[in-house]
Amino acid sequence: MSTQPGARGPDAAFQEHVVPEIGVLYRVALSITRSPADAEDLVQDTLLRAYRGIGSFDGRHPRAWLLTILRNAQVNRVRRRRPDLMDDPDEVTGRAATTEDESAQPEEAFMAGVLDEHLRAALDELPIKFRQVVDLVDVNELSYQEAADALGVPMGTVMSRLSRARRRLRDHLARDGILPRRRRG
Amino acid sequence: MMALVVRVRRRVRPDAPAICPEVARSLQRYLDGEVDAKTLRLVAAHLEICRRCGLEAQTYRALKAALRRSGAPPAEPIERLRSFADRVAAGDVPDEG
Repeated sequence: MSTQPGARGPDAAFQEHVVPEIGVLYRVALSITRSPADAEDLVQDTLLRAYRGIGSFDGRHPRAWLLTILRNAQVNRVRRRRPDLMDDPDEVTGRAATTEDESAQPEEAFMAGVLDEHLRAALDELPIKFRQVVDLVDVNELSYQEAADALGVPMGTVMSRLSRARRRLRDHLARDGILPRRRRG
Repeated sequence: MMALVVRVRRRVRPDAPAICPEVARSLQRYLDGEVDAKTLRLVAAHLEICRRCGLEAQTYRALKAALRRSGAPPAEPIERLRSFADRVAAGDVPDEG
């Protein structure tokens, strides 16, 4: 049950609403920045902003609130670094993509590990815009709306990119003989 | 064209069982838990009886499961961020930069 933040003071509200979301925030930040160091900085920035703003937060939908803060923090970071990239929201959440996430640690084998192994190669071939929505929705289990909040794009954009991304992954894995081919018609 | 046929059919017969093209259009959202209760019921009922659509759903479920497995985040940065949050909550807040 959510508590009105003002009723128990900012520290208790911060512990209740913000701290449990740190894992999600880090994973989203990693999806957006593609850099572990940048992701950690971005989440620190987000935590500070959340702490300063917790008094005016109504206690509802903390994840959506935090994702909006995270995105605004990222906008500011990009603005400081590259003021020329501000016209396209995708630039804010995608252009920094230069390094691959080397932290993936599959917990278990699937189809004798074959699918996981081929999947990584298929993911590497995805354009960054598609890779991000897959990271947010499939890997980190965000809702469409949460992913849209994190990326600063409409929900319909998340849905269409997700659909195209999965089709590409599926086609790649079908070519490898790992998954059935898409049906026609 | 098929999308139009599906929409018209649904409008004329709101409670008719779902057909394959309709399920194909909703399948991704269904697997993501992003459909309303009625669509959920219609798609689930169709997947029970249609082998082709059932296989399609199974394929995307396997893909989603593999993607979820691929994303176990490293524990260290999250631990560091929790410590940082503890310091923030304890009032050790850096000046706004």
